[in-house]
Amino acid sequence: MATNGDVGESSADRNVEIWKIKKLIKSLEAARGNGTSMISLIIPPKDQISRVAKMLADEFGTASNIKSRVNRLSVLGAITSVQQRLKLYNKVPPNGLVIYCGTIVTDEGKEKKVNIDFEPFRPINTSLYLCDNKFHTEALTALLADDNKFGFIVMDGNGALFGTLSGNTREVLHKFTVDLPKKHGRGGQSALRFARLRMEKRHNYVRKVAEVAVQLFITNDKPNIAGLVLAGSADFKTELSQSDMFDPRLQAKIIKIVDVSYGGENGFNQAIELAADSLANVKFIQEKKLIGRYFEEISQDTGKYCFGVDDTLKALEMGAVDTLIVWENLDITRYVLKNHTTEVENILYLRPEQEKDKTHFIDKDTGVELELAEQMPLLEWFANNYKNFGATLEIITDKSQEGAQFVRGFGGIGGILRYQVDFQVFSANPDGFDDDYDLDDY
Amino acid sequence: MATENGDNVAPDSWDQDSDSQDASVDNLSKPLSNLNVNAPTFVPGQNIYAAEFVPSFLNKSNEDTPTPPPPTENTDPPPDAGKNPTSDEQMETEDTPPDNVADEWGDEEEEENGDDEEVEEKQKSKKTEDQESSGPKKEHVNVVFIGHVDAGKSTIGGHIMYLTGMVDKRTLEKYEREAKEKNRETWYLSWALDTNLEEREKGKTVEVGRAFFETENKHFTILDAPGHKSFVPNMIGGASQADLAVLVISARKGEFETGFERGGQTREHAMLVKTAGVKHLVVVINKMDDPTVQWSIDRYNECKEKLVPYLKKCGFNPKTDVFFLPVSGLTGAFLKYCPDETVCPWYRGPSLIDYLDQMSSFNRSSDQPVRLPVVDRYKDMGVILLGKLESGCIARNQSLLLMPNRATVKVMQLFSDDIETESAGPGENLKLKVSGVEEEDVTPGFVLCPADNLCNTGKVFDAQIVILEHKSIICAGYSAVLHIHACAEEVTIKALICIIDKKTGEKTQMKPRFVKQDQIAIARIEVNGGLICLETFKDFPQMGRFTLRDEGMVFSSIFSSPGRKSPES
Repeated sequence: MATNGDVGESSADRNVEIWKIKKLIKSLEAARGNGTSMISLIIPPKDQISRVAKMLADEFGTASNIKSRVNRLSVLGAITSVQQRLKLYNKVPPNGLVIYCGTIVTDEGKEKKVNIDFEPFRPINTSLYLCDNKFHTEALTALLADDNKFGFIVMDGNGALFGTLSGNTREVLHKFTVDLPKKHGRGGQSALRFARLRMEKRHNYVRKVAEVAVQLFITNDKPNIAGLVLAGSADFKTELSQSDMFDPRLQAKIIKIVDVSYGGENGFNQAIELAADSLANVKFIQEKKLIGRYFEEISQDTGKYCFGVDDTLKALEMGAVDTLIVWENLDITRYVLKNHTTEVENILYLRPEQEKDKTHFIDKDTGVELELAEQMPLLEWFANNYKNFGATLEIITDKSQEGAQFVRGFGGIGGILRYQVDFQVFSANPDGFDDDYDLDDY
Repeated sequence: MATENGDNVAPDSWDQDSDSQDASVDNLSKPLSNLNVNAPTFVPGQNIYAAEFVPSFLNKSNEDTPTPPPPTENTDPPPDAGKNPTSDEQMETEDTPPDNVADEWGDEEEEENGDDEEVEEKQKSKKTEDQESSGPKKEHVNVVFIGHVDAGKSTIGGHIMYLTGMVDKRTLEKYEREAKEKNRETWYLSWALDTNLEEREKGKTVEVGRAFFETENKHFTILDAPGHKSFVPNMIGGASQADLAVLVISARKGEFETGFERGGQTREHAMLVKTAGVKHLVVVINKMDDPTVQWSIDRYNECKEKLVPYLKKCGFNPKTDVFFLPVSGLTGAFLKYCPDETVCPWYRGPSLIDYLDQMSSFNRSSDQPVRLPVVDRYKDMGVILLGKLESGCIARNQSLLLMPNRATVKVMQLFSDDIETESAGPGENLKLKVSGVEEEDVTPGFVLCPADNLCNTGKVFDAQIVILEHKSIICAGYSAVLHIHACAEEVTIKALICIIDKKTGEKTQMKPRFVKQDQIAIARIEVNGGLICLETFKDFPQMGRFTLRDEGMVFSSIFSSPGRKSPES
């Protein structure tokens, strides 16, 4: 895929950017500080630096009145560093500016000064200035989740499922089962009565679905979704879409009605698949397509694929990797170890359970304990270095069917290669699941 | 027991008498088919005049031309025809499974079949000896009608019921009148099985229809499966109860082609019934009376030729497992009676009912413990459970355990196809009125078994799977829908244990990363929902056989489970 061009390049970069912010938010959320010394400052685009600088000066004045000495000093210190940071910008960047500053208390009880400023990857339309004992990241989280949200209603004869799809997250909001009478061929005199009972039950079911839909998809008298997909096996979905009981505000949002043969989760997955062309821009669909492509390479046995940490890194070093696919929660850590007697550097990739094994940190020949030079999650290392290898990095979730397969079956790391590479050594099952199989049973 | 039965089901034996009379007439009529029309003697309330009942609109056309040219109304495109192309497009992305591999699988199957046939033959000879002594109890056979949308499954089913006297003429005339009011004249026959309002409105079967009829030697239960793509799960439920499948093919120009192409249900259904454990397939080429077909032998052979290779690939042996015959569901030709030689000189019988009646009997195990998967339940003066008795015998007042809930239930009443009986043997399609459990506490997929021999339940199991059709690869983490007996549950593949070489049957690759189409593997499967009932394939084939389906179109269909319950369940 050398023809990937600028567009593909930038969108992949952007995904890495998003992942970095996600990680940042996670670390910021965990941080706690003393008193109200943690400053969160968000400046929307087209605001003026000077206005913010003036506000900070005013705040500085107010803060000097704080009674508690410790608190006063730390707040004043934080405001001063924010002011200094602000001086580095002569105007607000096009997407706005986010600054977090404060002294956090680490797990060991030590104090650490943090000062982070960055331009978000997308315009941020929030103006925020807060001093608290924690950082406020809600606006950033909202920014990440700001993709269009699509609602799904999957209804069949056994029950209904309500879900949403937004970005690369697929969520089941609610599901319930119903018990509708099937046809039994019973009847005789009461055949008509049974038929009527049946109609009534079905009618009530449609009503219930319509009501739950309003509860879930309408907040503050407005639909909270960009589009609605109705799926189901029998006529229920069309019945629902045409029914008077269905809220007209939601009715207007219907973008597609698809036929699926199952209800429940499977029906939901299938509905997403079938509605893919209507939701082409959703990250979830792109992710599915990407891994689908990867699986295709495997099933056609082109040899242009790799998986597992060792093979993937080998391929990376050869420059063969076109697209590097990594699970967002990959828990492999990269260690750089130094033998201080021989000055030889050694790089190790360990899973959490392997880290406990201390033999990895001892030189085999000499028995010398190795010095830890660098420790970093592998994914972060990829995020920083993937460009050096001429690859694009795709960070995926395990929310989709394909994603789950990739994570569970391939260990969450792999890549699509530019050309065929022959991996001599097949890594023997790194993810050792319990060996409790007894083949004689089959 | 026999005498009791005789007392209880008086009309049953009466039916039988008249039936045999009919059949003898039939046998006579074969060589002297021209004399047939006037032959039958009058039997009150019976279907002697069945052959003469021709719907009024057909009559008209019959008057115009002596040989029954099909009604002009027939040419109207069926309501679904427009939908087919879209589904075709969706399916086109799949790859064709390579022939050789599937054949391989078929071979394996044949071996198995061979064994069964031996047993069957033994049984047959035994049966013939027993027949006189065993009295009125006829062998029960469950027949499922499968095929593409609008192939005429329900119509054939309805017509058979009419011909065997299960639906009386008056009801049918009423249906015909009502159908005519809706301008859907050709649909009236299917209304005998499509009882729901929606089904009649659209002429599409949604849920599996159930009915029964009797012949000289056998008692048949009709399971009328829906043909529409979205209702395949319902169809699997029906197929899992069947001993025998009738694949209905429309010979009408264009309809055969769409039904058989990718996306047509003909292929999927044939494959599904095979995986559901149906050993014998009757292929009826329907709509032979259509103006585009006109009982042409060329068209019949064309359909046949196209079907045979595929059926072979599904694992049916075209010589022993498959039987072809032309019929017309609308006029009833070759359903029970053979039409005039002028109509169809190249095929003279046997008719569908005759063929079904003459079939060798099935291998049933009445000495095994009771297993009855519940297909459906409802409340009607007590809780009523529906299902096919897979093995064992159930008698009235028997206490059974409902798994996996371990609820003790007592059988209060026992209906075999609407006829109340004292006891039932394997293969019968039963309705049980039970006490000791509430309707809400039973869901389809539960299994009735005796208290001293419980059905296995589990959440995690290991099974051998054959990937029949899947465009991509399957690896751990793959989720699909599992169909086992009457039960449909979402499952995830937890791990792949090994791949089995198809030629040698050896376990080759331990812990493979993935499996592809046409490979056989052993996998550990986890049920997402909760406990399900299952048995090892060795002990109860019908309870250990399952199908995995995914996303409606790509189905990786699977067969035979060693079903070892994992200790972690």
